[in-house]
Amino acid sequence: MYDLGREQRLDRYDLAHATVRDILTEMKDISEIMVDLAYASIMFDSEEIAEEVKNLEEDMEELSKSIRTKAMLSARTHKDAAKLSSLLEVAAASRRISNAAGDIVKLMECEVDKRPFLTFILREAEEKIKRLVLEDVSDMVGRQIGELGVESETGMRIIAIKRGKRWMYDPEEENKLKAGDVLIVRGTDDGYDVLRSFANGDEKWPEYPDEDEEED
Amino acid sequence: MDQLDEMLLELKDSSELMIDLAYSSLLYNNKEIAEEVVLMEEVLDELANDIQRQAIARVMRDRDEGKAFTVIKLAAAVEEISDAAMQIAMVTIDDDEPHPVIRLSIKDADTTITLAEVKPGSDLIGKSLGKMRLASRSGMWVVAVKRDRKYLYGPEKDAVIEEGDVVISRGPPDAEKYFQDLCSGEERLEE
Repeated sequence: MYDLGREQRLDRYDLAHATVRDILTEMKDISEIMVDLAYASIMFDSEEIAEEVKNLEEDMEELSKSIRTKAMLSARTHKDAAKLSSLLEVAAASRRISNAAGDIVKLMECEVDKRPFLTFILREAEEKIKRLVLEDVSDMVGRQIGELGVESETGMRIIAIKRGKRWMYDPEEENKLKAGDVLIVRGTDDGYDVLRSFANGDEKWPEYPDEDEEED
Repeated sequence: MDQLDEMLLELKDSSELMIDLAYSSLLYNNKEIAEEVVLMEEVLDELANDIQRQAIARVMRDRDEGKAFTVIKLAAAVEEISDAAMQIAMVTIDDDEPHPVIRLSIKDADTTITLAEVKPGSDLIGKSLGKMRLASRSGMWVVAVKRDRKYLYGPEKDAVIEEGDVVISRGPPDAEKYFQDLCSGEERLEE
């Protein structure tokens, strides 16, 4: 999402209507994207990505409060309460992950010249964070991330998009890709090569005409 | 990369594997996987301590406190992630049956976990994970393989899949079906 104010950010979660299940899912998703973004901020020395991690950490705090309240209200019996308390334990763990991601971005405040070795280490990780530019000749241009199925097709998850000066973090499936977009992606080297060949127009995005019919 | 860098890398990669395994244990109410997460946490605890100790030893040698500070902070943060994984695994261990909503939430997430048995005729048989480029082709990242009664956790690229293996993997929900079908032999690996 683009930069939003605190209230607008929270509106997106619709906490008044969200169920315990919705919030737990949200917390799992956010905690994982936060870790990726935290490493990305170090990798690309990006204050902006680091800022988003801090914002997400605040969001997590609200989600965490909300899930606790909702869980308490929904417990009817002792057994209910016991089960819900372990559910809250899972929520607390995802909050913990988000705090750890917050700690990682605090490294951005350390002296810049002390961090290059981190970038070097992250380049060797099993799953890497990389970036690529979407060229105008690519047939990914103008299509939605979800419609393309970028992650299932290439194994690469788009964790952020930089469009001009603006950032979009954890883009939604409905987001359309545009020529010139800088994609920050996470995955294997091999997946990166595959995605890059689509993004620079060397390869055509594969089409599976029968797929929808089969599913219907 | 020097030894300290390699240790940090291992800490990072392992902490992420632990999270995947912890959610797998919850989703399938699998106490064995949960126990593995607990064991890994102990190992990572030690690893994080070693990293921090080495970093300090280097400050004394090289007088480069900036790098040591960064290393120590990072190791602590990553270790926190492994603690969180253990916290999740403990829910699997302590509960007879986790709250059904937990499973639904994991299934609804952007990244989910799936499990499939490799059936006779599957394209995966006899190939290594790296060679068939399973992650980039299927969108699913293998976190564990169960062969007979033993688990292989966080298999390397050279791990070869055999008939009868149960493969647990992590990825986007829309990749789940293709992965399942690859394991069952209903789908072929596309070139």
